[in-house]
Amino acid sequence: MATSTLALWVLLVVFLGAFLAQVATRVRLIAAGAGSFSFDHPAFRIKRFIVDVLLQRQTIRERPAAGAAHALVFWGFVAFAGYTAVEFAYGLGIVDLTHSAAFQMYRVALVPFATAALAGILFLLGRRVGVRPVGLGATVSMESVVIALFIATLMATFLLGFSLDERTFAGRVNWWTHMLVILAFLALIPASKHFHLVLSPVTVLLKSPELGRVENLDFDREQVGLEAIKDLGKKTVLDAFTCVECGRCQVNCPAWGVGKELNPKALILQTKDALLAGRRDAKLGGIYSEKVLWQCTTCGACENQCPVGIEHVPLVIGARRGLVSNGDAPAYLGGVYNNLERRRNIWGLGYGQRQKFIEAAGLETFDPATHEWLVWLGCAGAFEADYQKSLRALFDILRARGLTFGVLEKEACNGDPAKRTGNEYMFQELANQNIEALRAGRVKKILTSCPHCLKTLGNDYRRFGYDAEVVHSSVLVASLMRDVQPGDAPRTPITAVTFHDPCYLGRYAGHVDEPRELLVRFGADIREPVRNRDNPFCCGAGGGLLFADKEEEPGSRISDVRFKQLQDTGASTVVTACPFCSIMLKGAQASWPPSAGPRSAAAALGSPGAQADTQFVDLMTFVRDRL
Amino acid sequence: MILVVAEQRGGKLNRATWETIAAAQELCRVGSLDPAITIVVPGSNVGAVASEVAAARVQNVVVIDHQALDAYTPDGYAAALEPLIASLSPSHVLLPHTYQTRDFAPALAARLDRALVTDVTGIKAVSGEIAFVRPMFQGKLTADVVAQGPAPQVITFQIGALRADQAARGDAPAPIETFAVEIDRSAIREKPEPPFQEAKQSVDLSQAERIVAVGRGIKGQEHLPVAQRLAAALGAELAASRPICDAGWLPMDRQVGSSGQTVAPKLYLALGISGAIQHLVGMKGSSTIAAINKDPDAPIFDVADYGIVGDLFEIVPALVEALKE
Amino acid sequence: MKLAVCIKQVPSRDWQPRLNDARTWIREQDAGFEMNEPDAYALEEALRLRETHGGEVVVCSAGPGRVAQVIREALARGADRAIHVEDDRLAGADAFVVADSLAAAMKDEKFDLVLTGLQSDDMGFAQTGVILAQRLGHPHATIVVDVKVDPSTGSGQAATVRVKRELEGGWFQWVGMPLPAVLTIQSGINQLRYATLKGIMAAKKKEITKAAAASSNPRLKIASLYLPEKVKKTQMIAGPPAEAAKELVRRLREEARVI
Repeated sequence: MATSTLALWVLLVVFLGAFLAQVATRVRLIAAGAGSFSFDHPAFRIKRFIVDVLLQRQTIRERPAAGAAHALVFWGFVAFAGYTAVEFAYGLGIVDLTHSAAFQMYRVALVPFATAALAGILFLLGRRVGVRPVGLGATVSMESVVIALFIATLMATFLLGFSLDERTFAGRVNWWTHMLVILAFLALIPASKHFHLVLSPVTVLLKSPELGRVENLDFDREQVGLEAIKDLGKKTVLDAFTCVECGRCQVNCPAWGVGKELNPKALILQTKDALLAGRRDAKLGGIYSEKVLWQCTTCGACENQCPVGIEHVPLVIGARRGLVSNGDAPAYLGGVYNNLERRRNIWGLGYGQRQKFIEAAGLETFDPATHEWLVWLGCAGAFEADYQKSLRALFDILRARGLTFGVLEKEACNGDPAKRTGNEYMFQELANQNIEALRAGRVKKILTSCPHCLKTLGNDYRRFGYDAEVVHSSVLVASLMRDVQPGDAPRTPITAVTFHDPCYLGRYAGHVDEPRELLVRFGADIREPVRNRDNPFCCGAGGGLLFADKEEEPGSRISDVRFKQLQDTGASTVVTACPFCSIMLKGAQASWPPSAGPRSAAAALGSPGAQADTQFVDLMTFVRDRL
Repeated sequence: MILVVAEQRGGKLNRATWETIAAAQELCRVGSLDPAITIVVPGSNVGAVASEVAAARVQNVVVIDHQALDAYTPDGYAAALEPLIASLSPSHVLLPHTYQTRDFAPALAARLDRALVTDVTGIKAVSGEIAFVRPMFQGKLTADVVAQGPAPQVITFQIGALRADQAARGDAPAPIETFAVEIDRSAIREKPEPPFQEAKQSVDLSQAERIVAVGRGIKGQEHLPVAQRLAAALGAELAASRPICDAGWLPMDRQVGSSGQTVAPKLYLALGISGAIQHLVGMKGSSTIAAINKDPDAPIFDVADYGIVGDLFEIVPALVEALKE
Repeated sequence: MKLAVCIKQVPSRDWQPRLNDARTWIREQDAGFEMNEPDAYALEEALRLRETHGGEVVVCSAGPGRVAQVIREALARGADRAIHVEDDRLAGADAFVVADSLAAAMKDEKFDLVLTGLQSDDMGFAQTGVILAQRLGHPHATIVVDVKVDPSTGSGQAATVRVKRELEGGWFQWVGMPLPAVLTIQSGINQLRYATLKGIMAAKKKEITKAAAASSNPRLKIASLYLPEKVKKTQMIAGPPAEAAKELVRRLREEARVI
């Protein structure tokens, strides 16, 4: 055997060995994770894989330039797979296909890929080192620079191979450089963020089709949530090793955006560090800092933006469960839990008000024989005056179109605040109570104007075996109004409005077109805010933060930042489709302009504008008033 | 005969005693009982109190004056009243439903092993029996309660159920007697310290009995004195909704609502407050809510007992005037 | 310290009144039940005293079988064990009957301190705690907002408790008494802990001792139960500012009696 062949074998064994050893460690850790992987809805997962991974949609959508550059590099990698295999087969003395005509054509075909990849990687390197986008971290990672140079070298050596004869010294050096870089790359990737090359296709396939999927705890098996590193599930461990540190989760996080400590990227990387350090018994509250866990609104921006399939929300909620099971919920949630336990609603109010509303609105008790729809009032529908007005508008619309509907005699809170803050016991109590009432009422179709009710009744209740059709009012009313031509005899002139997509409607449920369809049909000129459609900037109410008001400083509230974004569209009317978005944004308006606080959000707001005379209108009211 | 137990502290009569006297007179009427009412004044150095109540239209006033009763203790009061009750054999023993009465009336009833009906708001005759009317289930229901067993029956009356001025005065002061009791001071197990009012470090709205709260309707910090004058006239604390405190017009410890304090005063007067739910949850426990707001659709009116739709800058000064009378 | 907390199960606050046919009590089948709120604060206070002084918290309740619900809740919040005086006749029973039963079940336990709520959310007589104190032969204090226990020292000095009582009009008073004693606790004096998942799971394994009701004569009879005439409704006062203001003051003074 020639020396060079032997040398390559030796190097291959060494570097591949290093690669496999590191991979084995990580695979062991993943296998040691709790629970099992799920693969439900395979068609959806495969389609998502094709679009987001193969076609790189997720990488491109929010960062077009960098995303496109990455796509070029990625496609380059994929295209080169065959080439690399053939060169190694030749170098290891197994078979020499390098002189075949097919291979030569393949090489030529690879030239555009290599050129594009080279341009792409140089662009990305320049961006990382020169532009220094905040999502990529405070310091330039040496490892990233090395990998980038490796990739550039690989492409450069490939292209040089066309002008260098392989039998010349320069040609040999070029060839060996290429092979050595591949081997070094191989040994480096498991311990770097480039492990995503191997893992991300798997992670994306294994990612739940449902955003923010949090399974029920099984009390019979004494499950209490995630307390320590050893409790983390297999998918979470896989996520930790897949993280590519791109920072999309971080820069889209509303809490991070107003200067809080919560950073979804940090959560994932802290998890990885703890796993590799073998800290199986370390408490999650200590790893992440408990305070940070309670700053999350569960808006899902992090998980929704992640290009490699990481699920941040179940980790946060799982860790919250671990804390709550031990009595470590923050003080303001104690009051909410007591309200839910004693009064079955988040505000601890008496149901006399719900009864008054039912009577005033002329609502009937749901009867499956005469009513098609059950309208779920929810806590806001029972107690919040503005939301009740919007529900009245909805009832007017339904009645005008001849739909039959009724309400339950008794509702408990759907349990969303308990579920998202980690009080699984309270959630299951409330869910079981409601499901019993829904089943007894033989309810098949539920209509709600609250996106949180939508998510909980529609997704989370399914895990109890309760399967009804749950629809948001914007979707139903949009379908009812399809016979109305846009701008059909508008009673009022075209109105400039901006629409705030509720996180739980736009991002979680994917309904971004129906509200816009309605608005346009009824004469609205929509001015989109900076974050919209399926990536809105949260209003700040989710995840129990509606009640965390005491902890916030005026000027640094998530709601203040969002309100400013909506004002910046220039529209004087804000249309909402969620009672809690409405409460938060009106609260922000009431305290406008915010006094200049010390925290960064106040700076982000710029100089406070004039006293805001923004009008708020619920989507249903907007439509009803123009019918 | 009926025995009325007067309440005093430090030689000062509790006005609620007059309501109890009125109740005793009412009981005689409704129950067709012999209108023989005795008022007992337990305590130490209570001569002045006895003279005060002697103005009522009652048979007599009995004073139990003992050193051991100079501070209220349940052991002391029960020890003082038991022998008197044994000697007088009243059909009923009446007391005002004060904090003090709540502390010892059940003990007295237990020692006598006699029925006790508390927090009574009215007296009825029902099928030949005397029934005492009282609220139940947090006021959602009313009950007619009949006491069972031998006399005396011990009854306490809700403060304000009857009016002090309903108690008929006598043409001449009732005779005052003394009743001697033996009280073993060492047998009194409770060691009370002098009552006090809390020294307020910061504003504690949760203890305030009356609150005047301002919202955005106050329009500006410079207009706060309008509300402050009303608060002073009512002896109330000043509070605010979140926007006022966010703007720094009032300190954060005056904020009422889910991000401020939760209050349950007897009177909550909301000026220019719309009644957003975040504010409502902080004051829904108030006994009486009055609201003034320009907007007739303001949600605050849904929870208010009394409401005026109008300009608070006109109504509030008028309130201050009306309070002067 | 051996602490006892007496709790009562009452219809939930949001329950709409429905009466039985005789109109002498509520229709229990329609009602949802919960722990009496002042008792919940008493339980919380007892749990805090146990955290400071060590010992055990025993929750005691007298009532029909359904009372087990609130007993489990108390155990889930942290009580160590429970005593359930179980008898259907205890539903809607008056304070004497209940206190007699509780006293009989509790006297041999020799508790250092007994806590209970100042009154119940359903009947609201505010008698049971004090009558219980008499039956047990202990001193008592009511409407307590703060509890400070001074445990006995080795040299024969008996344990005492000093409590802050709420009086009318923002006045307070500290009272000392020897242990054992009975205290009735005011609502809202502490922050209630919520039942944690672990607490709920552990509660399933905690001991509930059953006891028989004591024989006792009822002292009160509810002749009739009915809805009050006045229903809470917003009274809007109209008229020019000066008139409206005068009328509001009048109503606050004479009707609501808050000024």
